[in-house]
Amino acid sequence: MFDILIKNGLVVDGSGAKGFAADVAIKDGLIVQIGQIDGAAKQTIDAKGKVVAPGFIDPHTHFDAQLLWDGAARPSLEHGVTSIVPGNCSLSLAPLRAADRPAVIGMFQQIEEMPPEAFTIAFEWTWEDFAGYRAAIEPKLQINVAPLVGHTAIRQWVMGEAANQRAAEPAEITAMQAMLRECLKAGAIGLSTSYIDTDANGRPVPSRFAQFSELDALAAVLGEFDRMLQVVPEFYDADLTIARIDQLAELSIKHNIPTTFSPVFDSPLTPHNVARQIARVEEQAARGARVHPQMQTRPVDISFSLLRPSLFFARLPFWYRTLRQPLEARLASLQDAATVERLIADAGPEGGKDMFGRLQVRGGDAAPAELTGRTLASIAEERGEGPAQALISLSLEHGLDVAFIAASAGHADTGRIGPFLKHPLMHIGASDGGAHMSSFATYGDTGYLFSEFVRKSGTFTLEEAVRKITAETADIWGLKDRGRLAPGLAADVVVFDAETIARGDERPVFDMPGEGMRYVRDGIGVDAVLVNGQVAYAGGQYTDATAGAVLA
Amino acid sequence: MNAAVQPETVIVGAEISAGHDGAAELTLMLRYENGVTAPVIVDARVGFSLMRNCGATCLADLKGQSWRHFLEGLD
Repeated sequence: MFDILIKNGLVVDGSGAKGFAADVAIKDGLIVQIGQIDGAAKQTIDAKGKVVAPGFIDPHTHFDAQLLWDGAARPSLEHGVTSIVPGNCSLSLAPLRAADRPAVIGMFQQIEEMPPEAFTIAFEWTWEDFAGYRAAIEPKLQINVAPLVGHTAIRQWVMGEAANQRAAEPAEITAMQAMLRECLKAGAIGLSTSYIDTDANGRPVPSRFAQFSELDALAAVLGEFDRMLQVVPEFYDADLTIARIDQLAELSIKHNIPTTFSPVFDSPLTPHNVARQIARVEEQAARGARVHPQMQTRPVDISFSLLRPSLFFARLPFWYRTLRQPLEARLASLQDAATVERLIADAGPEGGKDMFGRLQVRGGDAAPAELTGRTLASIAEERGEGPAQALISLSLEHGLDVAFIAASAGHADTGRIGPFLKHPLMHIGASDGGAHMSSFATYGDTGYLFSEFVRKSGTFTLEEAVRKITAETADIWGLKDRGRLAPGLAADVVVFDAETIARGDERPVFDMPGEGMRYVRDGIGVDAVLVNGQVAYAGGQYTDATAGAVLA
Repeated sequence: MNAAVQPETVIVGAEISAGHDGAAELTLMLRYENGVTAPVIVDARVGFSLMRNCGATCLADLKGQSWRHFLEGLD
């Protein structure tokens, strides 16, 4: 008897082959049969009219801490994601000595914007080494985890306070190699490093003090295990990023390792940057290098409130000058009728309609909840004001603690981004799941891939889109039994509606430890998610199944 | 002498762009000494410093300013 039989679905198996009508039988965590199946099963899922695909893989997340109290990495699972890669950008929670916790926590708070309570009340620190961290998360996992170990963490472990002060001595590099080897044996899927991230004090994180010889030595260890090197390059500058591509290529060829870098953004202001990076990746691929750029599917937004200065106002001289003042003076100016009159005039015609009308209220702060998601234009109309006046009034009424969002302000041109995403060497990822949580939602990129680039633009066929975020990702990361539906492989399966799968609207929730706020997006059109042969999510509900595993 | 050669790198354009962390950033167009024009993106911290160092009250004020002001912003 099968454990689960998924009947009557359109099987899109991850290979890119055209979908076909079939049933999928599962037993003991594995797919055992695909075809017309009549055998008995303990549980049957009717997938008529739905797609049955391999579970999606998210290769760039920061769920390291959240996994300690939420083994489902909510809401990733409900978007069809069955495997995640935490530990990106040089940051992991192991190895980590007790004495170094405050420093590393500060870095995590800087990157993830996680409330301090997440590190003090949500879990017990039971580990220092990587095996200990794995043991801490593994019993509760509802999703699969392929964790990277952070270069910063290894450097901190070996060098202590000197980690963010200087280059490493040869003996220290040897010690880092040994520690990396230990982490890989304990289940790390690779090493992450960063050239851009900063700690809580704005100082470069330890990985940025490494000389190339240090990274070369660590890459040699990755070569012993054929494991991944993930890098955050100086992505704000195309020339520097291209130089990093060349470095990654050298390491990939020399040590025979896969490498990946992220993020890669498109912008009309720098229209040639992505094409130049892809061209260099193509050149290096022709030499045999495995260098995979990661691009996110979703657009980027600009968010701000009047509580803190933002360059968003740098187009408008009087706004910029007024809002750059210290808080008390800023408040006084915004309450001064003459100043407000001048601000409104500075905002442009029709009360600042073009500049501010399309801004939306974000929610999750002091703004009335019923305004969340509404545009300033509609709020202003309701109030009998212009958008600029409404922005000021609404902010003042709530102590300036009202966040606004300029949605899709960058990386938003589907016609340009689609072909980039589809490029054979482009890796769809960089979701940053679990990071930037009080700034924007980092979930639902998979749904957006289908809604925007399959249904709306037609850039991808259904099968191509599935392949990109399943088999192709598994192959890049060396996840040999994931990413495809075939007998003998792990039963990570998502059942979804190809006509409706999408990401929900961004909304604030207060589900972080200490009732901390984060922005999330709900999954849409995902009927069921199976992890290692057990139903982890179905009918809009998470189950209690803890079938997730560390994918070592 | 090449007509494109100029004594120093200058900012010839500036626009607000969306940063990967949700903050507004500046995308600057620089014209280098050899005449080549290329973009560079700076985050909010550096952007504010640059604006201050250039005495700029808006993006338009950045045009024509020396790129040396960028170095003054690195502290």
